[in-house]
Amino acid sequence: MGGVVELERVGPLQGYKLRIVQEVLLALLAKEASHGYQLQARLALALGPLGGALNAGHVYVTLGRLEKAGLVCARRVGQADRPDRKVYELTAAGRERVHEWLADTSWPKPAPAEFHLKLVAAAAAGLADPVRLIDEQRGELLRGLREAQRAALAEPAGSVAGLLLEGVVLRLQADLRWLEECARYWNATKG
Amino acid sequence: MGRLLLIYRLVAGDVRRRPVQSALLLVVIATTATTLALGLALRHVAQNPFARTRAATKGPDVVFEGQLRAGDHRTVTAGALWKVPGVAAVGGPFPLAFVRLTDPGIDVAVNAEGRTSAPAAINQPLVTAGQWVLRGGAVIEEGLAGALGLHVGDRIHLRGQSFRVAGIALQTEQAFYPASSSGLVWVTPGDAARLASRSDRLGYGVDVKLANPAATDAFFNSPAAMNALPGTVIGKSWQSIQKDDYRVVTIDQKAMLIGGWLLAMLAIASIAVVVGGRMTEQTRRVGLLKAVGATPRLVAVVLLAENLLLALAGAVVGLLGAWLLAPSLSDPGRGLLGTPPAPPLTLTSVAEVALAAMAVAMAATIVPAVRGARMSTIRALNDPARPPHRRPRLIAVSARLPVPLLLGVRLVARRTRRTVLASVSLAIAVTMVVAAITLQQEVDVREQGHNAIALTGLLNSNSVGGRATHVVWILGAVLVVLAGITVIFTTWATVIDAQRPTALARALGATPRQVSAGLTTAQLLAGVVAACIGIPAGLGLYQLAGGSVAKANPSIVLLIAVLPCTLVAVGLFTFLPARAGARRSVADALRSE
Amino acid sequence: MSAQALCKEYGKGAGLVRAVHGVTLEVELGESVAVVGPSGCGKSTLLYLLGGLERPTSGSVRLRDSSLERLPEAQLARLRRRDLGFVFQAFHLVDELTAVENVELPALLAGASPHAARVRARELLERVGLADRASHLPSGLSGGQQQRVAIARALANEPLVVFADEPTGNLDSAATTEVLRLFEELHANGQTLVVVTHDERIAATADRLISMRDGAFVDETKLTGGSSRRLSAMTGLEV
Repeated sequence: MGGVVELERVGPLQGYKLRIVQEVLLALLAKEASHGYQLQARLALALGPLGGALNAGHVYVTLGRLEKAGLVCARRVGQADRPDRKVYELTAAGRERVHEWLADTSWPKPAPAEFHLKLVAAAAAGLADPVRLIDEQRGELLRGLREAQRAALAEPAGSVAGLLLEGVVLRLQADLRWLEECARYWNATKG
Repeated sequence: MGRLLLIYRLVAGDVRRRPVQSALLLVVIATTATTLALGLALRHVAQNPFARTRAATKGPDVVFEGQLRAGDHRTVTAGALWKVPGVAAVGGPFPLAFVRLTDPGIDVAVNAEGRTSAPAAINQPLVTAGQWVLRGGAVIEEGLAGALGLHVGDRIHLRGQSFRVAGIALQTEQAFYPASSSGLVWVTPGDAARLASRSDRLGYGVDVKLANPAATDAFFNSPAAMNALPGTVIGKSWQSIQKDDYRVVTIDQKAMLIGGWLLAMLAIASIAVVVGGRMTEQTRRVGLLKAVGATPRLVAVVLLAENLLLALAGAVVGLLGAWLLAPSLSDPGRGLLGTPPAPPLTLTSVAEVALAAMAVAMAATIVPAVRGARMSTIRALNDPARPPHRRPRLIAVSARLPVPLLLGVRLVARRTRRTVLASVSLAIAVTMVVAAITLQQEVDVREQGHNAIALTGLLNSNSVGGRATHVVWILGAVLVVLAGITVIFTTWATVIDAQRPTALARALGATPRQVSAGLTTAQLLAGVVAACIGIPAGLGLYQLAGGSVAKANPSIVLLIAVLPCTLVAVGLFTFLPARAGARRSVADALRSE
Repeated sequence: MSAQALCKEYGKGAGLVRAVHGVTLEVELGESVAVVGPSGCGKSTLLYLLGGLERPTSGSVRLRDSSLERLPEAQLARLRRRDLGFVFQAFHLVDELTAVENVELPALLAGASPHAARVRARELLERVGLADRASHLPSGLSGGQQQRVAIARALANEPLVVFADEPTGNLDSAATTEVLRLFEELHANGQTLVVVTHDERIAATADRLISMRDGAFVDETKLTGGSSRRLSAMTGLEV
């Protein structure tokens, strides 16, 4: 399980494709059956600015996969002056999957192993100065924090997207603190 | 043993960390101890020494002093007196010469009485030093000797003639000098005659003993008594002599009693300021000590030890000061038997002062220790003992004033109780000073009045008043010093207490001079209130003490001038602490790390 | 304002502490600078040196055309009154004054009329969103509100530079957001800010970030530039 939306490496020539985590859509359908565009709207509302790059296409692709897996079923609904639209609703299997997902308490990986290893490797091989790497990463994170913070402040009070942004800010803060520790360590090792 | 060492270390560390505060506390306690000791030393009342002297010298019940007109050389006899009913015995007549005793720096009118070496039946002065009269020698009355600092063997000049001081004696035929305006010396009859012959007035003295010593009034009412002697005669009863003697003592004692009360009140106010200032920080210390694991009992012991140390040190210094000062407040009972100049410090008074100092230490310890023991450690650490007051009207008013006044008024409004205490101390000092001024004025008036009248041997209040004013001015000076020290301490306590707001004011743009002016203004405001209370209080006190404001008629200008003088004095005392307070490091006060 | 080779030492001999050591810095008008570093690295001392609250052992500080280290105390005070504003970690509001009385204090100290000072104080409280708390004492205000009053006070005399020493040091997360918002607004309005902080969120509001360690500058990072594209990159949304 990754984030809500994950990059799927589908091949060096095809770039990255968005993949919405299936369980999220299942959960959104638990209350009532919905159209695809309704689901997208609700996702956009919940994600706020972070949902900027999300569009209907990603939603429909995932819904298609879920239908193939037998977790949702689609019905055609006739409309007077528009082409037919599909309405999606949960199957029993789908509902069971949702309950499993809600009860699951696993959390995204907390260990920044990749960056840590980057520093170790760079130092060992003498490829780059770890302190410089840290400084540059810090700058990036700070810029990101700035953006996230600005976005969070711009949200109206009580907005649910604001809560997500707060989470981004706090995580970046924690990461920055860790980078400070790294800097101290790698400075000492160097000097 | 380790416990004692720990306590010692804690106490020593704290005293070293706050040297100025500890020193000020010590000084206040010392001054208080001095005043207390002085008050105790001067408390002794002459235990009716007049009666004892009278008994010892076989003192007369009535004394006559007569003057013959110039050229009248008849011999005086006292035979007629023996026939007056009620008379038991008559002594004299003794020749009396009215001369001046001169020496470098001395010029006093004295009566030189001629006496034989044979003891008289009544009124035989009691020699306390040296011997009785001999040729070329003079015996000096005890009060005169004490006032002029004469000893046996000194040389004096009576009307230019040189005499040797043969002895010093006590008597009750006249009030002792300076209760009496002229002193008394005894010489041989031959010397007296020689002294008298140079002047144009011959005098004589006659002593009378009555069958009933209390019947002096009846005696004076009988025409036979009053016409028994030639020339101009003045008679005095022993009761009036006693009254004059005691008047000096009483005035002095009254002055010292009042002064003593004022000193005690001022001492209490000063101690209250000091103790109040210390309680704040002591509560915090209690919290700190508890936080590091000290039991409440250990905490109380540490606090007590520190306060006791300072209080006892202050008491020692104070007693030393009293020992040095006491001689200048000379014994009022001189000249009367049975009142040897009391040693200023008896063992009991030392013990009493030490006890008082310890009581102060206990009082200063009990409140913070109890509060600390009861309060939770966190609260003791964080909360100040008393948050500052808020006075909206004063704050609003101060906004309209220039910056120094703004700061001063707000500082006053913050800690009303301390300002009130400072005002009280100053008011007490001002009261004493005003009383002293009024007394001086009354004495001056009387002096002027008396210089117009020739010396008649009647007691005039000049010398009496002089002594009393001397005493009152000294006490006034002590009060002023104590009040001044209180002002210094109050200023410093304000500096410490308001260090964050004053540092803030400086960070926001107040110059150091404005801040120190503000600190001074806070004290000056107390001074204004003090003067306004003190001037009428001083007059009232003087009236209550038995003086007469109407007679003294102190000049209004002088009284009103007390106000600016008070302000100047307060300003002088505040100047240094305020300046120091305004120049403390802003960053240190505002830093949070 | 600029500082050259600033140096501040305490103590002597073996007890010598170099709080600030050879710091050189320039701040442009309208810029927002954050100074970060571990505690005890001398950032607060640097701030006090720049603001004229302490005198440097050596080096110079210039504000516009005046050299701060050469001015006598009285003139420094006047300069602070006119051109500088301070915000402290412990707020340092006067306990017995209400919010509006606290805010009008710098104006009163500068000699403004009580009426004008009061009007301006109310304006500033309005600006920081505390107009309804004007007559509250500091004890009746939350930490975030107190700091906002302190910020309003710092703005009373329209200063050139506002110095903030760990403004969110004593605040919880929610209060920090309030203060954060204010700082962003001030910066957007062109106020020059120099902030000392160890809170990354405050640091992120600045244009320029300077790191200090053991009294000396270690690093400088420019934070301007960047687009929303970066935000999406942080959360892994990339098409």
